[in-house]
Amino acid sequence: MSEFLDQSTPSSAPSGFDFSLSHRNATLSSDSKSSINMVAKKTGTTIVGTVFDGGVVLGADTRATAGSEVADKFCEKIHYLAPNIYCCGAGTAADTEKTTELISSQLSLLRMSTQSPSRVVTACTMLKRMLFRYQGHVSAALVLGGCDISGPHVFQIYPHGSTGKLPYTTMGSGSLAAMSVFENEWKENMSESEAVDIVQKAITAGIFNDLGSGSNCDVTIIRLDGTVEIRRGALKENPVEPLRSMINRSSKFTMGKGTTAVLKDTFVKAKKGGEEDMVTD
Amino acid sequence: MASLLHPSQTSNPYNLKPGEVSSGTTIMAVPFKGGVVLGADSRVSTGTYVANRASDKIAQLTENIFCCRSGSAADTQALTDYVKFYLQQWEVESGRPATVKVAAHLMRKICYQNKDNLSAGVIVAGWDPVSKGQVYNIPLGGTCIEMKCAIGGSGSTYIYGLTDALYKENMGKQETLDFVKKSISHAMARDGSSGGIIRTCVVTEDGVEREYIPGNKLPYGP
Amino acid sequence: MASSGSGYDLSPTTFSPDGRIFQVEYASKSVASSGTLIGLKCSDGIVLACEKLLANKMLVPGSNKRINTVSKTSGCAFTGFVSDGRQIVNRAREEASSYLDTYGIPVPPSVLADRLAHYVHYFTLHGALRPFGASMVLGCYEEDMDEASLYMVEPSGQVFKYFGCAAGKGRQGAKTEIEKLDLSTLTVAQGVKEAARIVTMLRDDGKDKPMELEISTVAAENNYVHKPCEKSVIAEAEKWAKEQIEEEEDMEEDED
Repeated sequence: MSEFLDQSTPSSAPSGFDFSLSHRNATLSSDSKSSINMVAKKTGTTIVGTVFDGGVVLGADTRATAGSEVADKFCEKIHYLAPNIYCCGAGTAADTEKTTELISSQLSLLRMSTQSPSRVVTACTMLKRMLFRYQGHVSAALVLGGCDISGPHVFQIYPHGSTGKLPYTTMGSGSLAAMSVFENEWKENMSESEAVDIVQKAITAGIFNDLGSGSNCDVTIIRLDGTVEIRRGALKENPVEPLRSMINRSSKFTMGKGTTAVLKDTFVKAKKGGEEDMVTD
Repeated sequence: MASLLHPSQTSNPYNLKPGEVSSGTTIMAVPFKGGVVLGADSRVSTGTYVANRASDKIAQLTENIFCCRSGSAADTQALTDYVKFYLQQWEVESGRPATVKVAAHLMRKICYQNKDNLSAGVIVAGWDPVSKGQVYNIPLGGTCIEMKCAIGGSGSTYIYGLTDALYKENMGKQETLDFVKKSISHAMARDGSSGGIIRTCVVTEDGVEREYIPGNKLPYGP
Repeated sequence: MASSGSGYDLSPTTFSPDGRIFQVEYASKSVASSGTLIGLKCSDGIVLACEKLLANKMLVPGSNKRINTVSKTSGCAFTGFVSDGRQIVNRAREEASSYLDTYGIPVPPSVLADRLAHYVHYFTLHGALRPFGASMVLGCYEEDMDEASLYMVEPSGQVFKYFGCAAGKGRQGAKTEIEKLDLSTLTVAQGVKEAARIVTMLRDDGKDKPMELEISTVAAENNYVHKPCEKSVIAEAEKWAKEQIEEEEDMEEDED
């Protein structure tokens, strides 16, 4: 470890920030021979949101990728912000997770001090302020949705801190595929089931046409009456079980009970408060 | 930042960061006898993708002062939020509505002080009882110029000639509104990053009138 | 503590049992015993006049000014502790220029007066600070409203907008005299003379120290630029004032 530490860094920092990992990372990445990949896990993603007559519907795929590899087949991309507000995240998984966590905590403190339910615009403003402060270095592209006193709302929020209020929106690498569904089929004053259908269709378009998106479709419905329905894996377009069951394992490779012979048994009896005596048969 | 080229002549007109959302835009504001007309297209883009096709680039700063945004969407939204906040403070301390001059000066000041970190070109316009309808253009570097006809954004380069030709002194409200709509329509037709619908805003002593023209009803052509 | 009410005058941080802050009252006393200062809001501008008591016969005329320019169209006059007054003038100038810098327009008189009152009031709140022993009269013009206005900030931090105001030794007499004027028709040129008359009239030449009269205007004829009056104008006003006073005395004698 010491070879990675800067001379000026105290060997034992009593408290505060510890930058020794930064030094290690700098050293590793400056070495051209080293092939250590230190890129954060990004979620190639399809996330969408739309308003309907009685609330909002948010949708997301469940694939997390690390480069070209699927890191998680069933991850959660619809995050909780408040009882009446949820937020889909695309971009760097850690950033979206931590950003929504932070704002969720601030919102709950605000609810406690104001004794009133959170508003969607408040969440939007807090998110955009934070993202703007970090000048795009926090890679979180969000679809924010929820219901409050002024009705159902959907916002899109870009990593640099710009926002837009829209009746329907899509984000992530699969946003183009998903948007084509919305632009074709979305209409005003939809019923809940129509809205859910269109959201599922849009996410499916992302799952099938975008390499970064895949696995299942999550749906969260937030209604004006305050109820929330979280449909985890609402659509399972890529079920794994049938694939697994298709694999016929030869019985030759299945080890039955008693395959390994017992040569010798040894029992050790514990003695109260004293040393153990070995009992051998 | 200090580029001698006109925004339209560089490949990255507003020095945007990778992936940054831009209002590649056409914006315009023209004062007339009783007030001022503001206009803007509605396209917001990330590279070649249209991030929002019906956005509102005319932000309200006070009851009677508005601002057209161009450049980075994030920067200009933050900027207008700040100016809005400072103007509210000003109105509370002074006990009267803010003047367009003060609004433009505040905007200029923040644009100039943060010019290294901002890509924002805005037009501040509105009506106040002291100086009536006024338009101030605040382009990239943070200068502030009062103008009789201000255009901005990537699409504006296509219509300098058109606005010069169509502009007349002492136009009425409807005439000014038609002039703004026509100019923006022509910019939207030639500029790839301008498009969608046209949003307009007329501010007079009597209040604010906002309207929009759908993309299939643009007053393009002679 | 000897009796109730004593010992409460050592700091402005404590009220006396009957609800007074003695340090602030003492500060007002130091204003009440210094040169007379008056301000008039005339039909076409503001007149500020100040009786500068001369502590030393060897002072150069025109030095040690009590009337100062704050910004192009605003002036202020103070009386009381001169060094305290200068501190407030300094603050007024800072406020005016920083306002111009941030908002691009000259500071509105109401805002300037308000901010100065806040500043002065702050000094009545802290144990480590002493209230200002000076009253300040502001005469300013605001272009946006096309109005000239007159304000007075007192050591307590109070501020009021006036048609005519007075501070210092002769304030009671001055207020009586100002009330007799018709300020809605009085012009600045006449106001300068009346101000000279009031200040001169209230003096007791036998008892009072020698003085120098300072007058300034924020007048329409100068485009509302704050300007100290020329020596000749002041001399003329003083001459007129003395004649008026003598005339009045003659009339009184005749009546006797």
